[in-house]
Amino acid sequence: MAHFAHYREAHPLPFIIFHYINLGAFLTLVISGIFIHFPYLPNVMGMARGAHITAGIVLIINLIIRIFLALFVDTATSPGTRQKEKEIKAWLPQLENRHQFIPWIKYYLFIKKDHPLTAKFNPLQKFAYMFLPFSFIFMAITGFAMWGPTMNWIVCETFTNLVGGLMNVRIIHYFMMFVNVIFLIIHLYMVITEGGIPLIKLMFLQREHGGYTYDTTTHSISGKDEKEYPKLLS
Amino acid sequence: MDEKVLTSQFEDLLASRGVTRRGFLQLCGTIAAATGLAHVTVPDVAHALEESVIGAAEGNLFPVIWIEGASCTGCTEAFAQIDQPDPATVVLEMISCNYNETLSFAAGHSMEEAKAQTIKQCAGKYVLVYEGALLEGWDGWALRVAEETGVNAFLEAAESAFGVVALGSCAVNGGWMGSKKTPAGAIGCQALMAKHGIETPVTNIPGCPANPEWLVAVLVDVVMMGILPELNIDNKPSLIFEQAVHENCQRRGHFENGEFVYKFGSEEEKKGFCLYAMGCRGPQTKANCGIVRYNHRRSWCIEAGSPCIGCCEANPLDASHNWVDVNAPFHERHRDLRIGNWVVQPRTIGLAAVALTAIGVIIHGFGMKASGRLEDIRFEKQREWDAKHPDSAIGDYTADRIIIHADGTEEVVPADVFEKMQDAEYEQSMKKIGAAAASAVATGSATAQDAVETAEETARTSIDDAEAKTAEDVENAIEEEIDETKGGQE
Ligand code: HEM
Ligand code: SF4
Ligand code: SF4
Repeated sequence: MAHFAHYREAHPLPFIIFHYINLGAFLTLVISGIFIHFPYLPNVMGMARGAHITAGIVLIINLIIRIFLALFVDTATSPGTRQKEKEIKAWLPQLENRHQFIPWIKYYLFIKKDHPLTAKFNPLQKFAYMFLPFSFIFMAITGFAMWGPTMNWIVCETFTNLVGGLMNVRIIHYFMMFVNVIFLIIHLYMVITEGGIPLIKLMFLQREHGGYTYDTTTHSISGKDEKEYPKLLS
Repeated sequence: MDEKVLTSQFEDLLASRGVTRRGFLQLCGTIAAATGLAHVTVPDVAHALEESVIGAAEGNLFPVIWIEGASCTGCTEAFAQIDQPDPATVVLEMISCNYNETLSFAAGHSMEEAKAQTIKQCAGKYVLVYEGALLEGWDGWALRVAEETGVNAFLEAAESAFGVVALGSCAVNGGWMGSKKTPAGAIGCQALMAKHGIETPVTNIPGCPANPEWLVAVLVDVVMMGILPELNIDNKPSLIFEQAVHENCQRRGHFENGEFVYKFGSEEEKKGFCLYAMGCRGPQTKANCGIVRYNHRRSWCIEAGSPCIGCCEANPLDASHNWVDVNAPFHERHRDLRIGNWVVQPRTIGLAAVALTAIGVIIHGFGMKASGRLEDIRFEKQREWDAKHPDSAIGDYTADRIIIHADGTEEVVPADVFEKMQDAEYEQSMKKIGAAAASAVATGSATAQDAVETAEETARTSIDDAEAKTAEDVENAIEEEIDETKGGQE
């Protein structure tokens, strides 16, 4: 099976912790949001709302921390390597991504056969991951604009007026929920089909896995790692 | 001494209309609370009202002109049509005696003259209360009174007023007449004045009908302080329109407990459960209806069993943001969206988008299976761009490759040999899942349909491989096969 080696350098522990918190908050938001929208499960509205707002606050604090971490923590910004750079490089366009946008689309549409060489995140992923923080902030503004204690905050009120009232805010928040859920579906699908079990194990259990290796100085495949990695946490 | 004379004169006035001193003081209490001026006490309010009522009766001190625009007179009816004389009614009637089409005894020429005189003689000192929408349709020829168009009558009165009070959602932004389907060209006071460059301050009191006590509260501010109340971003009195109905709703406990009415006439309705599931707009409508209540504070919409329909929603500068267009259909969770002639709830669009994504992902999944990518992939030897533009290539693909073996030893391999090994490994994997699927895609001709067709085939062949579940299993399986083939060759 040809895939890149999965090394911890790609996802250092702080990011894995971030990812756990993010996942938890996100799922809480979606589930409690659905309870708020379809109030058919008796007796949980207060809890659902409480959980929703709490998870929203957690999500935003977590996001802010993550943005700072990206500026200070070193990670591998390409797959299959232990060479590290500041994480922020993986957010922004890299040399690895240049000219690769169209090949990636062709690859996903089955027009191109060979898997394009890539940075840790391919151009499409980069768009998605760049979009996500804005989406979260947007969700937070629309969410807090609908919540009694915060609806008169200047940011919220200005936003409410900008989009033409709370009904529109509500609909936008609701639509954005679907946009986020669609992201989640595609994200899960890509993780499973592209990264597969080794990536999931790395992301959740820090378990490494061999495979092709990559060199960020030559920007090309540098060899292969056939080592058996300990199954410790698998 | 003076005080006493004033008071008894005022009490006579009230008594002649059947209002007791007690009823009057109750009104003053609500107003004191509603104006939100911390230092205002009930006697202050009583005193100010007495003075202004008597002042008005004697022809000075803030006269009020009350013009009826395109309205159902509901806002007037709200306080006029009740079973016993209401102190608010009386006070309003007395202050506003100069011109009120619905309530005044006088009519015709003498009324118009009274209005003209007020505008002229009391310029900058009177308050204009405008009820109903302004109509710009039909070239402004609507609402003609005494040879004057409604728009002009309003502008003339507004121009020299101390302040304009837009009473009711129609006056604030056109109300339901602002709805897209009417030809009336309804517009609110503030927007029309802005168009004509009139800078008289506007106080918006939405509601359908507006709660009379809100108007009294505003008038008391004007009368007492000679100033307009503190207004929010929409020029609505901030204290009245700051919190959502939901925040002060008596059914809020049921909301938090998740106890909802799902159907009118049900057991839940009898128990007075929360009306959220019936489309209640309380959480998104800012007004203090639950505190002030209606009809002598006897009841209000939600107490009476109706979900809030958001009648106080009104953006003064935008007639298309009228409360009916924003909130209808009232018993649905969201407003309807209109795309051409298609009327749809946001929920439908959202669920459809998710369903489409799921279907897309599943189809793509079949494609992945068909193309063999779930089994194995082959990396491009170099980037497409680099192959075509060797001079500006990004990668250097010529360096020797290093293989780290399972035992940790390293082996250096020239690039071309390594690439052949890559190909060989890939070929092995593809053989395993059948050549057909791989070649269909390899030719680069695979459309989505091809992909799906071949996918089914592959799915069948790969049932045999069902035990190869994890990537490691697959890898082991490949190794076994490689060994087998090698064995066969020997
Ligand atoms: C980040 C901070 C967030 C805050 C403060 C927040 C707050 C709120 C509030 C106050 C409501 C109630 C709306 C109403 O009364 O109609 C709500 C509804 C909802 N939220 Fe959030 N939210 C946040 C993020 C999210 C996220 C990330 C999602 C999902 C991905 C989400 C999904 C929903 C859904 C589906 C509803 C129901 C909408 C409706 O019935 O109209 N929210 N949210
Ligand atoms: S009836 Fe309406 S305003 Fe009252 S608690 Fe329920 S949702 Fe809120
Ligand atoms: S509760 Fe709602 S519908 Fe009733 S008066 Fe207030 S804003 Fe209007």
